[in-house]
Amino acid sequence: MTEATDRHSVLEAHAGECAECRNDAAALDRIGRLLQSSVVRVDVAALSQHTMTLLRPELSRRARSLLVRRVLTATLLALLPLPLVLIYDAYLLDAFYQIARLLLPAAIATYLVATYVAFLGLLFGGTYAAIPLLVARRATAAAASGE
Amino acid sequence: MATDEALVVELATGNEPALCELLRRYERPLSNFIYRHTAGRDVEDIFQETWLRVVRQAKRFDRNKRFSTWLFQIAINLCRDWHRRAPEEASADPKESADASRPIDRAEARLDADALLARLPEPQREVVILRYYHDLSEDQVAELLDCPKGTVKSRLHNALARLLALTKEDKP
Repeated sequence: MTEATDRHSVLEAHAGECAECRNDAAALDRIGRLLQSSVVRVDVAALSQHTMTLLRPELSRRARSLLVRRVLTATLLALLPLPLVLIYDAYLLDAFYQIARLLLPAAIATYLVATYVAFLGLLFGGTYAAIPLLVARRATAAAASGE
Repeated sequence: MATDEALVVELATGNEPALCELLRRYERPLSNFIYRHTAGRDVEDIFQETWLRVVRQAKRFDRNKRFSTWLFQIAINLCRDWHRRAPEEASADPKESADASRPIDRAEARLDADALLARLPEPQREVVILRYYHDLSEDQVAELLDCPKGTVKSRLHNALARLLALTKEDKP
């Protein structure tokens, strides 16, 4: 939408349909000149600058809330298969413990399983802690590339 | 170069450069439209409120629609609200309220385009501004104002007839 380039065409079109205006071309021309004389006294640059200043907090609020939503969604989606993974791990550990008890003293078998459980715990913890960090980093990188 | 519609999608995520670009593209036509609709009063407030609504509603923007249509529809609604809120002030002579201390040449003021536009009924004024100053086709104006093309035609016809009568009245 731009300012008119051929404003007279609007008036001419009107004159074509309106007998009164067609007969009073001078008056129509006067309207044309009057409308043409309208000057907009607005400092557009300052207006846009003020608007940006006003909207900046709103934009950062939106960006923040979107980031929080993304992180929560990603974390929740990652948590969905966790019960299945834990059940499967428990089954594997139990099988490993049974075999270890046949070959090793009970204390050593328990120690091995406990160590492995601790290792798995660390692994899961690290993975789930990395999810929000990775999502946040990706979002920040995307915002930066947009600039 | 990104389209307006793509920029609105970016804007919905709080992207500042997208807003900067949209502002750059529409600052002049939008401020001109508001200026002429309100005879130069409260332009900054309405301009800012328009963009605030754009930012807040960017997520709900219908991608099948043109951004410019949506933007101007928001501005038109705000201008209508403005006229409803301050009907007496709005109908006052804009030149007097803009600078009360300035001695006004009555003849000049009476023949001023903004004053003439301000004396038109709101629906007619909208059509004249969009059709005459923004060079929109009757179809585009009809889409923007959400009314039939015939209504746009008749409003424009009535507006010009009224302007003609007003200029004849004011003729010294």
